[in-house]
Amino acid sequence: MLRSALSAILALTMTACGGSSDPVATTSNELHVFNWTDYIDPNEVKRFENETGIKVILDVYDSNETLLAKIQSGATGYDIIFPADYMAEQMRELNLLEPIDVAKLPNGKNIMPSMMDVYWDPGRVYTAPYMYGTTAIACNPIDTYCPTIKSWHDFFTTKDPKVSVLKDEMEVVSAALRAVGVAGNDLCTTDKTKFQAAEDLLLGFKPAIIESDGATERMLNGTNTLEHTWNGEVHRMRPQIPDMIYIYPTDGANLWADNIAVPVGAPHLENAKTFINWLMDPKNIAAESNFTGYDNNIVGSDAFMDKSIRQDPAVIPPADVVSRLSPAPNCPQEVRDMYTQVFTTWTSSQ
Amino acid sequence: MSKIVRGRPGQTSPWLAIPTIAYLFLTIGIPLFITVVYSFLQRAKIGMGVTWHFSPKAYKDLFILENLDGTTTFDTRYVKVLWHSFQYSAVTTVATVVLSIPIAMWIATRNESTRNILVAAVTLPFWISILIRTYGLRQIIDDNGPIGWIAHKLGYENFHIIYTPIATMIGLTYVFLPFMILPIYASAERFDFRLAEAAYDLGAKRWTVFRRIVFPSIRPGVIAGIALVFIPALGSFLQSDMLGGGKTNMIANVIALNFTQARNWPFGCALSVLLILLTLLLVQAIRLISKKFGDQVSLV
Amino acid sequence: MTNSFLNIANVSKAFTTPEGGTVHALDDVSLDIREGEFFVMLGPSGCGKTTLLRSIAGLEYPDSGVITLDGQRIDDLPAYSRPVNTVFQSYALFPHMTVGQNIAFGLEMEGINKTETAKRVSDALDQVSLSGLDKRKPSQLSGGQQQRVALARALAKQPKVLLLDEPLSALDLKLRRGMQIELKRLQQQTGITFVFVTHDQEEAMSMGDRIAVFKDGKIVQLDTPQEIYRRPVNSFVADFIGETNLLDGIATADGVQVPGGGFIARSVIASDCVVPASGSVTIAIRPEDLKISDGSGSLKGIVRDVIFTGETVRVHIDLGTTEVVAHLPSYGVRVPDRGETVSFSPLDQSARTVAS
Repeated sequence: MLRSALSAILALTMTACGGSSDPVATTSNELHVFNWTDYIDPNEVKRFENETGIKVILDVYDSNETLLAKIQSGATGYDIIFPADYMAEQMRELNLLEPIDVAKLPNGKNIMPSMMDVYWDPGRVYTAPYMYGTTAIACNPIDTYCPTIKSWHDFFTTKDPKVSVLKDEMEVVSAALRAVGVAGNDLCTTDKTKFQAAEDLLLGFKPAIIESDGATERMLNGTNTLEHTWNGEVHRMRPQIPDMIYIYPTDGANLWADNIAVPVGAPHLENAKTFINWLMDPKNIAAESNFTGYDNNIVGSDAFMDKSIRQDPAVIPPADVVSRLSPAPNCPQEVRDMYTQVFTTWTSSQ
Repeated sequence: MSKIVRGRPGQTSPWLAIPTIAYLFLTIGIPLFITVVYSFLQRAKIGMGVTWHFSPKAYKDLFILENLDGTTTFDTRYVKVLWHSFQYSAVTTVATVVLSIPIAMWIATRNESTRNILVAAVTLPFWISILIRTYGLRQIIDDNGPIGWIAHKLGYENFHIIYTPIATMIGLTYVFLPFMILPIYASAERFDFRLAEAAYDLGAKRWTVFRRIVFPSIRPGVIAGIALVFIPALGSFLQSDMLGGGKTNMIANVIALNFTQARNWPFGCALSVLLILLTLLLVQAIRLISKKFGDQVSLV
Repeated sequence: MTNSFLNIANVSKAFTTPEGGTVHALDDVSLDIREGEFFVMLGPSGCGKTTLLRSIAGLEYPDSGVITLDGQRIDDLPAYSRPVNTVFQSYALFPHMTVGQNIAFGLEMEGINKTETAKRVSDALDQVSLSGLDKRKPSQLSGGQQQRVALARALAKQPKVLLLDEPLSALDLKLRRGMQIELKRLQQQTGITFVFVTHDQEEAMSMGDRIAVFKDGKIVQLDTPQEIYRRPVNSFVADFIGETNLLDGIATADGVQVPGGGFIARSVIASDCVVPASGSVTIAIRPEDLKISDGSGSLKGIVRDVIFTGETVRVHIDLGTTEVVAHLPSYGVRVPDRGETVSFSPLDQSARTVAS
């Protein structure tokens, strides 16, 4: 939060002054990677460096918005970024992504067919698939409320005192919309009565914590036992809490997919392509899945993935719940404003 | 050949101030100007930033809420958040004053070498990132931390302060305490303790001596401390975010939200402008109060 | 004792120095101060006089001993309940209060009503000739005026004993002389017992009804100024009070032989002094008691310096092993020249033997 706000403010001043914080743009054999915190295996990065002779320089961000603010403010010099689905679409619309014909790269053939024509990049021109996952509900089996939570509606009406919620406008409000009966493919509805109902539902909900940072840590130390979270976090908690329950709500859950892309003006375009191609290799992407605890969309990677991941229902959704999942909504601004309004009203009522 | 030197001895050339003025202009003047300008623009259709069309909408949105059912009402949300920020800052200020006076007086009465060590100790926290310190504090006041452990041992089974407004205020108090101790100490160090002896000799008891003699002498330090604590506390967001569990929103949290997830920069700028205006009002109020007492208060 | 008003009995107080040593600021001091007297405690700095004053005020607590005032034991009372008040060396005026508020402060503490307070503030200001300055802040007053305010503030309390801790030391000489007279006059008018601490022997002499001379935490001599001046008990007092020539000599049957300088006859030694038949003795002679007598004096020396100070002429005479000072009247007598050999002798009964 601090960092995202700071970088936003920084971006604000930078836009105005026409300055930029370019990493030194050189023609040397480097690759500047801008990624989420803790979202790539450092050992794999070393292996990439050894295999290709390209030196990787890593920088991290903590939210899609931080990434957007930085790239939009003209911070060139990055070669690789990891925008989520909706963010990839926005960046493409803002002409911030380099068309590199990902599908035509040698390993482009490995992209899962169902993930070829995604809404943010039909035909995979700009983006390669990275990890994907779901946002739903985790429950520590010691919590007696676990059996009572079947849906978002149950979640938002629970009296469980140890519940935490992600500080994420889109995730919270979309879940609340699902709870009041909005279908997964209709989350960008312009029906204000639905938002009113979602707001009314949320206003009766007083979680212990509204915070994304440290959610896993709080679950592990017992501060929270019921949590709005991402599936990979549940997998990461298994060593300490093996039977952690991941609930796919009956009223649906958001499916999101992160991507690998190249921002326009990347100084090391060819190295970036090499890197993306390398990460579309089933063996290499499987190593990243093993590290992050999330599944990927590369055909053939299963063979190289840890059994614990492949058999974790939190990571690989069981067949009977797949129908409940739908992509996280990427709504037009006037709808997003309603999301903001509901979220602000709710947080300021706490 | 001798050149006539103009100006008084010890006076530096006014030209030497130019880099500083330029620096302040670049780092404060221009961003402030941008903030004000952006607050009157429209947000970008997609992505971050603004489009260059004049609009007072951001200011209208501060106070008028267009309900989801189409009606408009007075928007109490931001007023409420501001009021919370105000409360937290006020409690923080009072807590820091109460905690600082005894320690500042104690330090001021030590001998010089001990005093230097103690003042350095007060500034020690500045050596560590505020983010790390706040994380540390979170561990300490957590239900499972040492404070919680002691509380449980003492039989307070329902002990719980982390992720509550109290935790936010503890965090604010912790961070701003040195900013209160130091100016009070500076005043206390100048205090002539023989005055306290005189008052004692004239029949005043401990508390009266403090209230009538000591306090008026350290009041300039207290007022400076209030300015140094209350105003930045009002603009804090880290503590409410990390310790308040994201529920005790302060105005800066809302500003940050608008620069990130909500992507409404004009509104974030309008909120910032509102906060700046309130701050100016506060500075003015502090100036008036100190003038009333006839104190020489530096820093405001 | 019938005339004991402020009684100090066997009071001791030790301090630890920063180096870890122990200093006996007060070493078993006993003392009786009479009601209505102007009592002076005199001594060099560090002699314990201020510690005793602060012990009476309650700003310091003795390690042992008892202090009683008017029959009531006060050493275990806090400062604010003792019927004594102090005029501090630094004046210690409250800078944020006006003169009037400063004086009224102590009265407010007693719970005296507004009318009475106002009257006593104005009376106190009258007493110290500062009428009409009650609205001023201390910073707007001169040093002498601040001194008077401090005095008025303590006097307004109508204490049984007024303690004054070197109150005049910050004033210039002329102002100090004026204040000495004024203080003495005030003490007589009010009848309040004054205990006055100073290191200035001249001030002590001119003001005190009685003087206690302190050295190293002990009282060396306690007596009237005249007695202390005329009959110092030892060389320290003789030297500290006024100016004294101390001559070391060998006692003989007729008097005292001063090595290199001459002879002091028994006739010039005060009759109450005991001069042993033999052995070394120290003789104290006041400079004004030395008379230069053309050739007939029993002491001889060379004039080293002749200093005209206005009221007297100071003549420094080298006796070979030591130097003495003689004060001559500035007119009416012949003043020797520098380098001249002179003979001189003490006035009859003026020289004293003193313990060293």
